[in-house]
Amino acid sequence: MKALEVRNISKMFPGNLANDNISFSVEKGEIFAIVGENGAGKSTLMNIIYGIYTPSGGDILVNENEVNIRSVEDAIKLRMGMVHQEFMLIPRFTVTQNIVIGDEPHKGIFLDYGRAVREVRELSERVSLTVDATALAGDLPVGVQQRIEILKVLRRGAEILIFDEPTAVLTPEETVELFVTMRKLQAEGKTILFISHKLKEVMEIADRIAVLRRGKLQGIVNKKDTNEEELARMMVGRNVVLEIPKIDVEVGAVAFACHDLHVRNNRGYEAVKGMSFDVHGGEIVGIAGVQGNGQDELVNAMIGFSHPVSGSMELNGKNMRMVTTAQLRKEGMSYITEDRARRGLVMPYTVRENSVMGQHLDRPFSRGIRMDYDKIGEFAEGKVKEYDIRPGDVYDTAGSLSGGNQQKLILARELSMPHNFLIASQPTRGLDVGATEFVYRKLLEEKKAGKAILLISLELSEILGLSDRILVMFEGRIVGETTPDKTTEEALGLLMLGVGIDEKVQS
Amino acid sequence: MSESNFTTKFLKLFGIDNQGHSRRDYLNIWVPLISVGLALILGMIVIAASGRNPFQAYGLLFGDSGLIPGGPAWRREFAELLIKSAMYIATGLSVALAFKGGLFNIGAEGQFWVGAIVATFFGYWSPVAHTFGAMYIALGSFGWIAQLLHGAICIIMGMLAGGAWAAVAGYLYVKRGVNIVIGTIMLNWIAWFLITSWLVIGPMTPPSQTFTSGTFYVADTAKLLRIMMPTRLNTSILLVLLAAYATWFLLYKTTIGYEIRAIGYTANIGMEAPRAQGINISRRIMQLMFLSGALAALGGTFFILGMQYQFPNTAIMGYGWTGIAIALIGQSEPMGVVLAGLFIGALRTGATSMQVANIPKTFSDIIEGMAVGFIAMQVAVRYYLVKIIQHRRARRDPPADQEAAA
Repeated sequence: MKALEVRNISKMFPGNLANDNISFSVEKGEIFAIVGENGAGKSTLMNIIYGIYTPSGGDILVNENEVNIRSVEDAIKLRMGMVHQEFMLIPRFTVTQNIVIGDEPHKGIFLDYGRAVREVRELSERVSLTVDATALAGDLPVGVQQRIEILKVLRRGAEILIFDEPTAVLTPEETVELFVTMRKLQAEGKTILFISHKLKEVMEIADRIAVLRRGKLQGIVNKKDTNEEELARMMVGRNVVLEIPKIDVEVGAVAFACHDLHVRNNRGYEAVKGMSFDVHGGEIVGIAGVQGNGQDELVNAMIGFSHPVSGSMELNGKNMRMVTTAQLRKEGMSYITEDRARRGLVMPYTVRENSVMGQHLDRPFSRGIRMDYDKIGEFAEGKVKEYDIRPGDVYDTAGSLSGGNQQKLILARELSMPHNFLIASQPTRGLDVGATEFVYRKLLEEKKAGKAILLISLELSEILGLSDRILVMFEGRIVGETTPDKTTEEALGLLMLGVGIDEKVQS
Repeated sequence: MSESNFTTKFLKLFGIDNQGHSRRDYLNIWVPLISVGLALILGMIVIAASGRNPFQAYGLLFGDSGLIPGGPAWRREFAELLIKSAMYIATGLSVALAFKGGLFNIGAEGQFWVGAIVATFFGYWSPVAHTFGAMYIALGSFGWIAQLLHGAICIIMGMLAGGAWAAVAGYLYVKRGVNIVIGTIMLNWIAWFLITSWLVIGPMTPPSQTFTSGTFYVADTAKLLRIMMPTRLNTSILLVLLAAYATWFLLYKTTIGYEIRAIGYTANIGMEAPRAQGINISRRIMQLMFLSGALAALGGTFFILGMQYQFPNTAIMGYGWTGIAIALIGQSEPMGVVLAGLFIGALRTGATSMQVANIPKTFSDIIEGMAVGFIAMQVAVRYYLVKIIQHRRARRDPPADQEAAA
């Protein structure tokens, strides 16, 4: 039986056909993946099915009956549930409170908390999704928070579950757990729509895969009959070099060096516990590690957001321990961030305004206190062409761009600033294949130009493909140093998890 | 720009071109207009519900507001409208500028008083007053130069003091984490009691006077020049328009404004993006508070140098609070603040006339309050506006795919 079918769905936004005549059907009990680059129309399609957007045309059928979904409430009544990419949890509420919110068991006008806890425990046992029903949601790791979201959806009786890029926020282990959960749900007869742009994951979990490109359905393939390369080709419409070419560059002088660096996190605990390393011109040093092992704090110290408690930090031979971000940038630091919305760009600012932030005090972008928007406009137009930032209007706000184009804008800005040391912190996070390839190419160009690059990433393939040297970070320390030709993904994975680390190194 | 005619070149001299900042959402113009319109319609209903004739009320309210030329008293009303509006626009600009940087300067009221009391002091303080008095006599027919200079000194000193007063809140926020709303509102009370409980009844009162007479009067040279005899219209409206232009220029044409707006746009997500680009957030916030305070204080100097000529011992509350309403109605845009300030000024000028017809002048406050209320509901107003626009578009040109499906 078809659990869900869409026929000729189209969605028109002003100046943009986000979904163009899309039709597919999903069998009951199937895991159906929808892949596509950022901006291909995946989220729009899901928002239509879930009642957030109304389509410009087309029909939706649930259990082979034509339905009219006008709101999220309608979708929930039709037994659909969406697990959002950004969790909608209240951190100060317990797991139970978060799960029952909006549909609470009550005694008169009072919440029957005891019964709610019992209900949540029963539910979590039945679907074997373990959660501590009385813990505060905000204290739990991201993977568990996602479980809360899934339970919330299941408690409302969802039969069709939509997962919108669920692995984007998860560690590799949490991803594995999520896939176990998804298979269990499938075994219970639930239908699952899985939105992703990570081909490896799609190949692992999905039964059938629909590929979207620029709002059009490129095709639906069985997992058995396809492979990553074919999917990548369908997604971007050309062959994508996922293999990163090796280039040899003569290693130059030390650009960045730190010794016995200790950094506290914002709660006052030491998160970086004595790191020493250096980065030379013309080399890419990769820092591998599972998220939350001190990478964020290390970056914060390196960009001047927090000052190290002790140890030394030098850029081009100058002491940089207690300086501001502005001073670091003046000395030649550039920074590509994974957190585009918060840290990378001012979203309501236009492409033009964003393109010069950081060098807006320099000529020719300003003279005295007066900004020269003509010059800035020329500069931005040039960068939009050079970096192929789409849709290409410098008056568009940064927030209206897709993730890949936002990252291109950040690259354009950071690489055009005078610099000799580049910090790339998860530079491809959340990016599609095309944009990822673009970032890799730019990083290699930087290396060729003799810049020193520090690459911090959770993606091992990225670390192995790009780095000249690899440092493995675990619990705030460097627990291993190696080169890509001397190690494998598996060996690195074990080191990252702290397996087999010499006691001497750890202490 | 393709056309390079005289007008565009002339406007460009002042930095006005259509590429200064982002393409503005045109709803920004419609939201306040519709909010004011709705408030006026609801106001009529409220007046009618109280058993009075709304058309008569509005006739009186707007007829005597100074907005519509004609009638025997029009020149006087027009002057009153502009004198009032100048002060409202000043405090409105103050609040709007701080809003642009993501700060809620609720202390425009206190900064207004500080500006007023300092302007009073430099207006009567004998070393200054005597110098300019002597200069006035010495210059003969060029005496107006002395007047300009004395007035300028009073205004500048008032603005510096008001700015410094607001910068205290900025400092506490940046260095000590004191919420800007709390900081500015506390400073309001400190200013209020310092002025009314000490200065006005103590050191700044003429010794022979009673407690209720207020401070010394400022010297004639400190008073703002009148520009439309015989009304008391003075240069304050010109000065405040200059200030509005300067505020606009600062926000959209300078590096300071560029950074301020970046800070404001990211204020609720930690301002990390501008920080990561090396922008010195703390310094900019303190500067922004200083400028915001100086603008509110400018209104205070108008109050003294253009209307009262002394700091009276009666409550002069409200100009700063009204500034908040004006900044909201004006969408925090300098041009919008000017228009909103004129609107509120007109309501308040015309309100007195309504009383003649036994219609309480509080009805104008009700209209004002409802306009702000609709602005506060602008998410809803925008929502329906977008709906209406979409509906009209859909009727005009139905989407091609829908036709195909049919």
